[in-house]
Amino acid sequence: MLGIALKMLLGDRVKYLGLIFGIAFATLLMTQQVSIFVGLLTWGANPVLDVREAHVWAMDPRVRQADEGLAISDAELYRVRSVEGVEWAVPYFRGTTTVKTAEGRVNALTLIGVDNASLVGLPPENRAAAAEAIRGRNAMVLDETLVGRIWSDGRDPVGEIVEINDNRVTIAATTDALPTFAGLPVGYMKFTDAITITPPERNKLSFVLVHARDGVAPAELARRIEAQTGLKARTREDFARAGVNFIVTNTGIPASFGIAIGLGVVVAVVITALTLAMFIAENLKSFGALKAIGVTNGQILGMVLAQSLLVGITGFGLGIGGTAAFLAGAETDPNLDGFLLHWQVIVGALVAILSIVVASALLSVRRVLKLDAAVVFRG
Amino acid sequence: MTYAAVARQVVMEFANGEDRTRVLHGVDLALPLGRMSFLVGPSGSGKTTLLSILSGTLTPTGGEVEVMGERLDRMQPADLVRFRRRRIGFVFQQYNLLAALSAAENAAVPLIADGVAWGTAVRRAREVLARLGLAGHEHKLPRQLSGGQQQRVAIARALVHEPALVVCDEPTAALDAQSGRAVMDLLDAASDDASRAVLVVTHDDRIYRYADQIFAIEDGRLVDADASHLPHALPEHGTNAP
Repeated sequence: MLGIALKMLLGDRVKYLGLIFGIAFATLLMTQQVSIFVGLLTWGANPVLDVREAHVWAMDPRVRQADEGLAISDAELYRVRSVEGVEWAVPYFRGTTTVKTAEGRVNALTLIGVDNASLVGLPPENRAAAAEAIRGRNAMVLDETLVGRIWSDGRDPVGEIVEINDNRVTIAATTDALPTFAGLPVGYMKFTDAITITPPERNKLSFVLVHARDGVAPAELARRIEAQTGLKARTREDFARAGVNFIVTNTGIPASFGIAIGLGVVVAVVITALTLAMFIAENLKSFGALKAIGVTNGQILGMVLAQSLLVGITGFGLGIGGTAAFLAGAETDPNLDGFLLHWQVIVGALVAILSIVVASALLSVRRVLKLDAAVVFRG
Repeated sequence: MTYAAVARQVVMEFANGEDRTRVLHGVDLALPLGRMSFLVGPSGSGKTTLLSILSGTLTPTGGEVEVMGERLDRMQPADLVRFRRRRIGFVFQQYNLLAALSAAENAAVPLIADGVAWGTAVRRAREVLARLGLAGHEHKLPRQLSGGQQQRVAIARALVHEPALVVCDEPTAALDAQSGRAVMDLLDAASDDASRAVLVVTHDDRIYRYADQIFAIEDGRLVDADASHLPHALPEHGTNAP
């Protein structure tokens, strides 16, 4: 009977294609929006995740996420180093400034100052060259994915002189940092250079990056640092998660994406339920004839489920393909860097779509299952 | 005489809220094998209800219905569905062919529903279609066939599983006179099979001449329409076909 079911479905091309494209559109909407949402949330974690060597971040107790740099005293660095279980601890500056090009263009910039000796905090991409280049005085390593925002003519920025707070800074190399939620170009300098060219403040130390000694759990070390120094200390994973949570709780992004994803679900439900209901209604007499002939309710249920699953899986495949194509195209755009189609999104969307089509099919088929076979004789 | 179907004191009532409407008042009827029987009467007389009961698509509220020795009124619903699928053929007024299936596939539906492999079922359906004069039309969709041809496909569907009883609901109502005659010729030939009875419900008096016996029904009761064709006495239990 499955063959009959599929022929019935394929024979009604308008509804078949309507169902397929409706489900494909809903899948595209849901998975694309979820992927972008997840990507944006990941951006919130990236400032922390990009610093791979640090097990623990120590900071002012009022700091909630990496872009909130409330400076602490330089003395805190030495207090942290004195905590039992610390292998090493280095200073880390993170602040926002303005860069001015030779042509007079200005652009906001996230300036990061990494430890002069270890260069902990410099991204791994092109690290050797960057590490060599950054050692020069007032030398900056610039995130190449965002170079285009400063120089839109596509030039190689290495060797360019820019001005930051009336200081001449040389772009000495480029690197590829993970994109951040703030969306500003990121420049790396030695810690001492970074704190020198930024406006004077009593304290300039944004974070202390800590590496735990072998055998010491980062969570335990963070607890010890907090107890001994009064600073806030978070493991790399916890602080990265704090960046994500900050976006979730302090922006309208979850609500905005939630609405778009919800619309995808509504589109899927409405199109699937209505079209299946119309398909069933238009074929009610045929189903009645089948029941009279001796087709069981179980067979009819199997037929309708097979029809629903076919359109569900086909539409889902097209929708996922559309999302994959979109994200593949987005890879070349630095503004959309880091948006991935995670397998959890695929599985979640598949479960959602199949649940919708199966539920719609079961609701629609109730009419047929309750249908009296003798109805086929009644005019 | 051996009977394909026997109805004894069949009563049918429909509930309408607290009211109950009786549409059949103790109907007795027997359909002999190898014969074509007609059930005639005005609209609302109970023809369709009686046809539904005899074909096992409706269970009577009283009385007995036996088809090929099996008591339909006592069957469980699942057994009744299986019985219909194997022992009863259906011809509907509007053909009720599936628009997306070819003529051969439509004719093969009862076999496919009974678990016969698609290829085998369609091959057997093609043979029946050929016998009914539709050779060369097997691959056509219903919309590519005339009304008469569609009804012939429906007849093929009713005969493909070699049922003991074929019930036809107004089989010529949607056809012109010539197509109607062709359809009736086929049903007449089908009823010549000694292992089969054909019951036709019709308003169309042009085709009465095909009837071996005619039952007339009015207000839910059989009336003597053509005494020469009516059985003088109903068969006892167990005398109808096994």
